[in-house]
Amino acid sequence: MDSDPKIRIEGVTKRFLQNGRTLSVLEDVDLYAADGEFVSIIGPSGCGKSTLFNIVAGLDEPTAGAVYLNGRLADNRLGTIGYMQQKDLLLPWRNVIDNAIMGLELQGVSRPEARARAVELMEPFGLDGFEQEYPFTLSGGMRQRASFLRTVLADTEVFLLDEPFGALDALNRAQIHTWLLGLWESLGKTIVLVTHDVDEAIFLADRVYVMTERPGRISRIENVGLPRPRTLEMLTQPAFVSMKATLLQALREESRPGLDPAVGRAQVD
Amino acid sequence: MSLDTLKSGLIHWSAAGYFRVSRAVGQWFPSLLIVMAILGFWEGYVRAFDVQRWLLPAPSVIATTMGDRAGMLSEHALVTLEEVLIGFSLALFGGVVLASTIALSRTFERAIYPFVIASPTIPWLLVAPLLLIWFGPGLATKIIVVALIAFFPIVVTMVDGLRSIDPDLVSLLRTMGASRWQLFTKVQLPSSLPFLFSGIKVAVAVSVIGAVVGEWVGSSEGLGYLMVRSKAQFLTERVFASIVILAAMGFGLFLLVGLIERWSIPWWHGQRRARSSRQEL
Repeated sequence: MDSDPKIRIEGVTKRFLQNGRTLSVLEDVDLYAADGEFVSIIGPSGCGKSTLFNIVAGLDEPTAGAVYLNGRLADNRLGTIGYMQQKDLLLPWRNVIDNAIMGLELQGVSRPEARARAVELMEPFGLDGFEQEYPFTLSGGMRQRASFLRTVLADTEVFLLDEPFGALDALNRAQIHTWLLGLWESLGKTIVLVTHDVDEAIFLADRVYVMTERPGRISRIENVGLPRPRTLEMLTQPAFVSMKATLLQALREESRPGLDPAVGRAQVD
Repeated sequence: MSLDTLKSGLIHWSAAGYFRVSRAVGQWFPSLLIVMAILGFWEGYVRAFDVQRWLLPAPSVIATTMGDRAGMLSEHALVTLEEVLIGFSLALFGGVVLASTIALSRTFERAIYPFVIASPTIPWLLVAPLLLIWFGPGLATKIIVVALIAFFPIVVTMVDGLRSIDPDLVSLLRTMGASRWQLFTKVQLPSSLPFLFSGIKVAVAVSVIGAVVGEWVGSSEGLGYLMVRSKAQFLTERVFASIVILAAMGFGLFLLVGLIERWSIPWWHGQRRARSSRQEL
């Protein structure tokens, strides 16, 4: 079928047994992203976003529900979905280029061949000249870009980004957002992003999902009507501002009373 | 390469060498001072109270003996060094293989690791005579004693190293499709190297002790044998000369391991330097 979304999460529920009591982390989560779409998920901390990503990536299995790739039930998903976490998780004993080719290497591509592919992307990732450097010499932003380069080179159809910019300051974030969108448009990949930052969620995505506190459910879905390519000026336009207000309101209803997610974000990050 | 680049390279090299030497002197100066003080006191004491040579030879006498008997001493030293190197290599190879197997297999770990942990409680000095009975007075007995002693620090540090990986890193590589074996070779093995080198440094030091113990119980050559024989003949200065050479051997091997470590895991030292190079203003 042509209309099958690239990735579809259907009725995903996750419960753990803890001290003899059932702990429900995810409850009946439905979510999809079409081919080449950019989707974000926002929610209070502890809403099970990381559990959801672990399930989608194939590290964990849901108690109920399923994950579909290209309309087919994806039983063995490990190795088919790119997953990038907040920690850069670069290998300290590998230089930048050999970190970047990790995914290709695991797929059986020879090192010279993999390095040749990586070299071409050093410049667009702002890493040219740093190929031979070890991660400890790089700044946080560069490490994050090296980590993202590793995800991109592994060349999966779907990328899961779990708060990849959480550790960066606001100025670096704005820059990396614009850069990421440019890259996404040229790559044509499907991206699902988890974030605490409402601005980030709207600015980057075609559609924003709001999750509730534990047990995590999808409480609201908003389509972002802003045209592409996105520009920083849009951040102050009425359409953006009103959507932000809607989402903040939805988040506020989902959080504990007295905790404003817009204020709480700083603590969460 | 042009002559100019060669020249500037040489100048750069010699300048770096000079700074390294001067820094090394600064680093070793305090301990050198202590050694000089002890030797000076020792020499003065022996001369002032006219201590018998067989009871406590003066450092100058020991040094003279080392000069006069250099040929004999180095012959015995080479025998001991050979035992140390072969025994240590066996321990390194066996230790790495065993540690890897323990890290890869839970069952194997449960079956074998308790024995590894218990092994240093065995008094090898008392077991050595048994080994002598089983393997004879030749090279084999000494190598086995060295290997048995050096084995433990290598296995334990490497097992710890193999286990010390970040679980998030394992998850990430699994999402990239890594197999169990790939996780082992690409993450666990490299990250265990700094641990392994700590174990090797301990292992080379105890290897020297192991060789001497092996020689004590039954041998016709080696520094351990020389010590036993010289002691019986009241040639105490030769006992001391042997101790000096053994200490130098242990120290030299330790430094060599340090060099190999710097060369093989540069990222580890770079990381530590980067952390410690910042100074308060």
